[in-house]
Amino acid sequence: MSRLSLNARLALLFTFIVTFCLAVVGTILFDALSRQIYAQDDLGIVLSARHLRRLAAEMDDFAAVREHQARLVSLVLGDSALALKVDSSGGMSLIDYDPPHLPIINLTATAQDQRIVTEHLQRWISAGDVPMRGIATLATLRDGSAVKISVARSMRDRALMLEQYRSLIWMTEGSAVLIAIVLSLLLIRRALKPLQNIADSARGITPERLDARIDVKRAPTELHDLALSLNAMLLRLQQGFDRLWQFTTDLAHDLRTPIGNMRGASEVALTRLRSAPEYQALLASNIEECDRVTRMIESVLFLARAESPHFALKRTTFDASEELHRIGEYFEGLAAEGGVDICIRGEARVNAERELFRRAISNLLANALRYTPAGATILIAVTASSEGTSIAVQNAGTGIAPGDVGKIFERFYRADASRTDSGTASGLGLAIVKTIMELHGGRASVRSEVGGLTTFELYFPARG
Amino acid sequence: MRLLVVEDEAKTGEYLRKGLEESGFTVDIANNGVDGLHLALEENYDLVVLDVMLPALDGWAVVKRIREKKNIPVLFLTARDHVEDRVRGLELGGDDYLIKPFAFVELLARIRTLLRRGPAREVEKISIGDLEIDVVRRRVKRAGQRVDLTPREFSLLQLLANRHGEVLSRTQIASYVWDMNFDSDTNVVEVAIRRLRAKIDDGHDVKLIHTIRGMGYVLEVGEPG
Repeated sequence: MSRLSLNARLALLFTFIVTFCLAVVGTILFDALSRQIYAQDDLGIVLSARHLRRLAAEMDDFAAVREHQARLVSLVLGDSALALKVDSSGGMSLIDYDPPHLPIINLTATAQDQRIVTEHLQRWISAGDVPMRGIATLATLRDGSAVKISVARSMRDRALMLEQYRSLIWMTEGSAVLIAIVLSLLLIRRALKPLQNIADSARGITPERLDARIDVKRAPTELHDLALSLNAMLLRLQQGFDRLWQFTTDLAHDLRTPIGNMRGASEVALTRLRSAPEYQALLASNIEECDRVTRMIESVLFLARAESPHFALKRTTFDASEELHRIGEYFEGLAAEGGVDICIRGEARVNAERELFRRAISNLLANALRYTPAGATILIAVTASSEGTSIAVQNAGTGIAPGDVGKIFERFYRADASRTDSGTASGLGLAIVKTIMELHGGRASVRSEVGGLTTFELYFPARG
Repeated sequence: MRLLVVEDEAKTGEYLRKGLEESGFTVDIANNGVDGLHLALEENYDLVVLDVMLPALDGWAVVKRIREKKNIPVLFLTARDHVEDRVRGLELGGDDYLIKPFAFVELLARIRTLLRRGPAREVEKISIGDLEIDVVRRRVKRAGQRVDLTPREFSLLQLLANRHGEVLSRTQIASYVWDMNFDSDTNVVEVAIRRLRAKIDDGHDVKLIHTIRGMGYVLEVGEPG
């Protein structure tokens, strides 16, 4: 069933229902009609038998019965299917009126003083498969002799009529079912047309044409949700593709710089013979450029791996402040050179993967050190609640322009497009922070006033 | 010490051979897995440097077959650094794992560690030239003069002194001294070395801490080379 099309399934179901209803109605009507017809005929037979018995009782003897044959027969004359037989108790036939030419068999007779009712009717099949119904009764003549009166009816005409009627019902029902199949197929196809429309629009959507959408207004109410969900999915895919495209473009651009440097410097060096120290300087510079490319590749791979569904976090609960002090120690030399103080406040435990926690904080701190002027302090504050742990890294500096705050966690985003220190800053540091926070089910946020304080905050939920 | 390098990339193989030979090793190169396996089984090597992606027979298959017969240390080189790959390499009998691109000094350090077999003996006192390091009491003297170092500066000096004459890369230093196993896009190590050098070398004619540009740092008496 699951392989059948929706069209066929609905049509089959509809046809089945129509067939079933018609069959029930036809059977009920046919049954009622045949009952009605038989009841009328039965009544006719019973009434004739009653009249005949009463009439016979007024006759003197067998001779009188024979004499009044016409009078007796007249009682059954109205119906050519009726036959009448009167026999003496000794078995002598007195009257044998048989227009249908179907002899009446020897029926069990109702006693002369017993009321004749339809229950006494007997049925049999006569020669030539003709169904018969009949009744017999005893009657006492005036001279005391008894006669047996038998009345029977050939049901051939009724059977024929009902047979025709049955055929008519079958034919009508058959046609009705055929019409139902055709109509249901047409109607269903028409009703499912909007689905086809959705399929048609979906077929037109390719990676190059991801901006196409399904026309929700044209879809019927029942399909609105479907169309809306599909459109939402398309939007997400489009954003994903756009991000990927942007990412690839930025990555290619960023790779150009170090590769260009290596190539250019090497070419210039080769134009004439240089001294050994010059060659050494060139090679060392090339290694630095290689390191830059390696770092970039490592960051990109980290981001790609973090997005893979197979990435497994190794979370533990550890002392955040202790870890912050270690990271602070790592940066203390760099900070001291820049005349910047690093101050760590608060005590809390955090649930995270230690290595990733370290990486996120280090990236924030490296970023803060890059922008903090001499004489200022970078404040790292850790606070915990029952839900999770927050780590804020705050520094004074130029601040982030309001338009850039939203983009700062994007890959390859640099607040100042013309920055030339991209040799050290890959533009991926904060993107990695954001990814790490997403892996932990937490979030990274930033607040900044231009020329004032900039605060990055990381929130690690207690249990991810 | 004889090393076998199994590497299908001709340029890589060539520079590995050159670099390792200049560092005092005898090096044979095989440029596919079948030859590599054959050499590893027939000849006596002290260590095998094995690329994972090889034509015909890959590094994993090679290490498996080597392990059936021999127990020489194997160092994997690979451009793939999925955790599963790393686990697989080590499960199959690899002893260490290095991801391409790597710093050559790091490869040297790993090879030396594997050949040393077992942790280096912790010495109590190191003395190089007129530098004396008391590891137990964590005290440093240069030309008889006491030098005050922060705990991290001491760890850094201890690392350089333990491996004196050996060039250490920035990532190696960050990993040993601060347990930072990723690149943080900063010149933290450079700054730390500069500050240490100011305390150790300033005012002395013989410089001990040298920068090998592009490669890293080395502690050595006299000019490195």
